[in-house]
Amino acid sequence: MISLSDVSKTYNEGRPNEVAALRSVTLDIAREGVTVFMGPSGSGKTTLLSLVGCMARPTTGRITLDGEPVSGLPERFLTELRRVKFGFVFQRFNLIRGLSVLDNVMLPAAPLGEEPKTVQARAMMRLEALGLAEKALMPVEVLSGGETQRAAIARALVNDAPVLIADEPTANLDTALTHRFLDIVAGLRDEGKTVILTSHDPRIIAASAVTAVVEMRDGKVVEVRG
Amino acid sequence: MKALRRQRALADYTLAALARRKVKNLALVGVFSLVVFLLASAMFFASALRHEASAALEGVPDLIVQHLSLGRQGMISEDRIAELESIRGVSKVRGRLWGYYYDRVSGANYTVMVPDGGQMPAPGQVIVGEGIPRARGLDWEGAPLFLSRKQGDLNRFDIAQIYSSDSALLTADLLLMNEADFRAFFSVPEGVYTDIAARVRNANELATIIDKATSLMPDERFVSRDDIARTYMKLFDWREGLMVALGAMAMLAFAIFAADKASGLSAEEAREIGILKAIGWDTRDVIAMKLWEGGLVSVGAFLLGAVAAYAHVFWFGAPLFAPVLKGWAVIYPDFALAPVIDGSQLVTLFLLTVLPYAAATVVPVWRAASADPDAVMR
Repeated sequence: MISLSDVSKTYNEGRPNEVAALRSVTLDIAREGVTVFMGPSGSGKTTLLSLVGCMARPTTGRITLDGEPVSGLPERFLTELRRVKFGFVFQRFNLIRGLSVLDNVMLPAAPLGEEPKTVQARAMMRLEALGLAEKALMPVEVLSGGETQRAAIARALVNDAPVLIADEPTANLDTALTHRFLDIVAGLRDEGKTVILTSHDPRIIAASAVTAVVEMRDGKVVEVRG
Repeated sequence: MKALRRQRALADYTLAALARRKVKNLALVGVFSLVVFLLASAMFFASALRHEASAALEGVPDLIVQHLSLGRQGMISEDRIAELESIRGVSKVRGRLWGYYYDRVSGANYTVMVPDGGQMPAPGQVIVGEGIPRARGLDWEGAPLFLSRKQGDLNRFDIAQIYSSDSALLTADLLLMNEADFRAFFSVPEGVYTDIAARVRNANELATIIDKATSLMPDERFVSRDDIARTYMKLFDWREGLMVALGAMAMLAFAIFAADKASGLSAEEAREIGILKAIGWDTRDVIAMKLWEGGLVSVGAFLLGAVAAYAHVFWFGAPLFAPVLKGWAVIYPDFALAPVIDGSQLVTLFLLTVLPYAAATVVPVWRAASADPDAVMR
């Protein structure tokens, strides 16, 4: 369970370009479900996702992960959490260009000091599950949009993180690929993983795999369904 | 083992990252190598010059007596040898014969000497420095060397040996012949010498001996070993000074280069760090990776620059610095400096280039890597 209590996030605090991205958000995100943060651009979805995924710290308020407070932890502990607990799929997928698909997928495991063969086998297993095994050695630049997204998912899952976080994962995908993504999400949920997404795509919000929808506007949670 | 595997994984990523930015990194290595090349060349050159100076001083006598005529040096009478020997504390007094010969064929000046002991050339034979056969296009021992002092007077000498020494700068133009040949060739009568060299038993008494000798031989000039050392040092110092100036310029260029590197990361690099942080890389992982990157670039470039500098100075005779060395001599352009490397200077150069570069690389990375990944990526 991830809990946020009265969490606010202000960027560029005290400067002329100060932006209050989140205002007093209180929210519980259940384990082993699929939660979608929805709302228009600038509503604070991505900021909320960053805070939940320990990629940023709240300006005020408290965040707990399974009852343990994480918002005040030093950076090295947050890194450890990101490495062990979370897998990220970014809006533009953010694969490292110039590296092969396999190298990209193995990247989160590099600092773990594991046997390269073990990591490689795990990465190949993920790629195979996502139908990308035959493209493992290709540079990521040659992948299509859907393949890039699946490579990003494989990378997010290579350390077997229990929580997958994805920012607007279907923003650049057509209907067929969106459905394929939803199938993957459903599969992950069935594996017992927690999936947290941001989206304003109605196809995602209406998907049967989704267990909770958090509606946001102007940095606030206006409604929680499910 | 785990730490080793972690470093290996980071190094693998670094190599891939370097290969990804091939052009940029090659340009970086190029600039870095050039700076190291200039600095190391200046350093090797200066160090070799110092070696030449100290090698030259090794054989210098404690005292040289010269005869002055109209304020210029003239031939000195051999009677002075006995007078000098009569002074208590003076030992091993000997007359020296040496002079300069302008060779019209090669357009070079040779220093002609009668050796003091050691290998005395047989009549009709000469021992020459490495530069002379080169200047004359003679590259084997036993070849005849024809020297002419006036039209129709051609003297044949056989090259008995090509003189090689640690101090090429001073011996490249040397031509050794025996006393009889020297006197005949330069028309120097018996009973006179170019100057007289003496040793003293106690170096602390040199000033007293010079005082006594001056009152005994008021027309002669006395040059002590210290005077010669000062002259040599002046001769080498201004050359070394030019090298230091060149080195300072290269160092300044390097400082600008490092400062530019330290001033920040490109948007792409910052984004990459944000991605790595977001997917679980620790700040120290990112810094270690960048240290690998900086280390590979800077150590590689350092080695490249240092080896190129060694080849430039010791194999190719420092053509970039040739104008500094040549001066009036025609014979010098092809000489090779004796390879002498001052290890501590090389280590200093390493510390002055590789470490600042590594620090300059790491500072902006550390700044980016210690921020929240969300902030870096934004």
